[in-house]
Amino acid sequence: MKYITGFASGFMNLFQTGGKTFITWMSTIIPVVLLLLVLMNTIISFLGEERMEKLAKASSRNPITRYMILPFLAAFMLGNPMSFSLGRFMPEFYKPSYYAALAQFNHTSNGVFPHINPGELFIWLGIAQGVQKLGLNTMDLAVRYLLVGLVMNFIGGWVTDFTTAYVCKTSGVILSKEVKLSVKEQGETDAA
Amino acid sequence: MAWKSIKITKGSGGYGGPLIITPTEQKHQFIYVTGGERPSIVDRIEKLTGMKAVDAFKTSIPDEETALAIIDCGGTLRCGIYPKKGILTVNVLPTGKSGPLQKFIHPEIYVSAVTDKQVALVDDSTETIATTAVTAPISETEETTAPKYDSSKKLTEQLHHTSFIAKIGTGAGKVVATFNQAAKESVQTVINTIIPFMAFVALLIGIIQGSGIGKIFAKLMSPLAGNVVGLCVIGFVCSLPFLSPLLGPGAVIGQVIGTLIGLEIGKGTIPPQYALPALFAINTQNGCDFIPVGLGLEEADSKTVEVGVPSVLYSRFINGVPRVLVAWVASFGLYAK
Repeated sequence: MKYITGFASGFMNLFQTGGKTFITWMSTIIPVVLLLLVLMNTIISFLGEERMEKLAKASSRNPITRYMILPFLAAFMLGNPMSFSLGRFMPEFYKPSYYAALAQFNHTSNGVFPHINPGELFIWLGIAQGVQKLGLNTMDLAVRYLLVGLVMNFIGGWVTDFTTAYVCKTSGVILSKEVKLSVKEQGETDAA
Repeated sequence: MAWKSIKITKGSGGYGGPLIITPTEQKHQFIYVTGGERPSIVDRIEKLTGMKAVDAFKTSIPDEETALAIIDCGGTLRCGIYPKKGILTVNVLPTGKSGPLQKFIHPEIYVSAVTDKQVALVDDSTETIATTAVTAPISETEETTAPKYDSSKKLTEQLHHTSFIAKIGTGAGKVVATFNQAAKESVQTVINTIIPFMAFVALLIGIIQGSGIGKIFAKLMSPLAGNVVGLCVIGFVCSLPFLSPLLGPGAVIGQVIGTLIGLEIGKGTIPPQYALPALFAINTQNGCDFIPVGLGLEEADSKTVEVGVPSVLYSRFINGVPRVLVAWVASFGLYAK
C-alpha cells in the first residue's frame, strides 16, 4: 500500500510541477505577448501590405537591401509565414537566398517582437525563461539576439548566393538574375 | 445594358473572400447598409457591374433579388445577418468572424476591409446573353432609384460635404474596429498556438524535473551547452544537410532543446551568457524543412525549387557553426556582474 501511495503522489507531482510552470508563464508571459500582438497587428493592418510590396520591388537590386533590410522589415510586418510571399519580387536566382535570410529573421527578431513568429516562440522563450528565472532582464539577451541575427542572417543570405551558383553549376540549371517582365512585374518598371 | 462580373478580395487586415459577384436577371441590385455615408466602393461597383445600388436604410428590396450587401459593421450584428440570409457580404471595415452570428461568416460568402482597390472586373462576359429579356424590370428599378441614387460624382461629393460628422464617425469607427479586430486575432493566436505549446512544454518540464530525468539530462547537457565547443557541436549536428530537414518541422525539436537548456540556465548549471550562442546553436536547422513551401510562397519556378533546396541546406551548413561562434563573441559582457 505504501508503495502505491508513494508512486501515486510521485506521479501527481509531475503534473503539479508542470502546472506551476504553466501558470507562471500564463501570468507573466501571456499578458505581455498578447498586448504586444494586439498593437502590432493593428499597426500592420493600418500600414498595409501594399506598401511592403512596393518596398520589396525596390529592394531586389543589391544584397544589403535584399538580405538585411527587406527580410527584417518583412518579418516585422508580415511575420511567419506570410513574409515569404514578398520573395516573389526577387529574380529567380535570388529567391533561395531571400528564403535563407528571411527564415532566420523570423526567429532572431522574435525575442524583441514576439508577434513575428508566435507559433515557434519557444526557440526564444525556452532559453529566455531560464534567464528570467535568475532575475535577469531578458531584453539584454533579446537585443543582442536581434543584432547578431541582423549581421549573420545577412551573411547567410549572401552565402546562399554562392551555394546557389554552385548547385546551378553542378546541375546545369541556369536561373535568371533579372526581374522577369511578366504582367505582374510590369508595374515595377513603371515605378522604377 | 451589359452586366459584368467583379471579383472582390479582402483588403489590408481583412478577412474572407475573394468573392465573385455575377449579376443575373434576378439579382441585379445590391444594397448598402452603412450609417449615413455612401462608401465609394458603392459607386465603383455600380460603375463596373452596371448593377443598381440601393440604400437599405431608405428602401428595401427582397433578399432573393439582392446580389450583394455592402456594410460597415464593426463586428456586432450586420456582419453576420446578411451571410445568415445567404447574401454575399462586403464589409468596408476589417472585421473578421465575430459577433453573435459569427458562425455564418465564412470566406465563401464574406469579405472585409474592402476599398476601391479590392474591386476588380472579371474578364468573363457570359452574362450578357440574358440582358435583352430583362430590360423592362431594369427600367422600372431605374425609375424608382435613379433620381435618388444617381451615381454622378457631384451628388456623392455633396453627400460627403453635408455629412462630415458622419465622416468623423466612420473614421473613429474604423480605428476602433481595426484595434478590435487585431485584438480578436491576437487572442486567437495566443489560444491556438502559444498556449498549447506552453502546456506541452510545461508538462515536459514537469516530467523531467519531477522524475529525476532532469539530473541525468543536466549531466549530459551542461558540458555540451555550457561551453562554446559543445554549443558548436550542437550547431554542427543540427546543420548537417541530411539531418537538418528532419529536425525542422514546427521547430519542435529546437523548442524542446531550448527549453531544456533554459532549465539548466535557470538552475545555474549553465552560465546565463551562454544563452546567446545557445539560441543560435539550437536553430542552425532553421527552416530547412520548409524550403519548398517557402519558395512556393515566393512563387518560384520549379527549377528554382530544385536548385534552392540543396542550396539552402548547404548554406545553412556553412553558416551554422560560424553563427554560434559570432554569437559567442557577442555574448561577452552579457549579464556580467
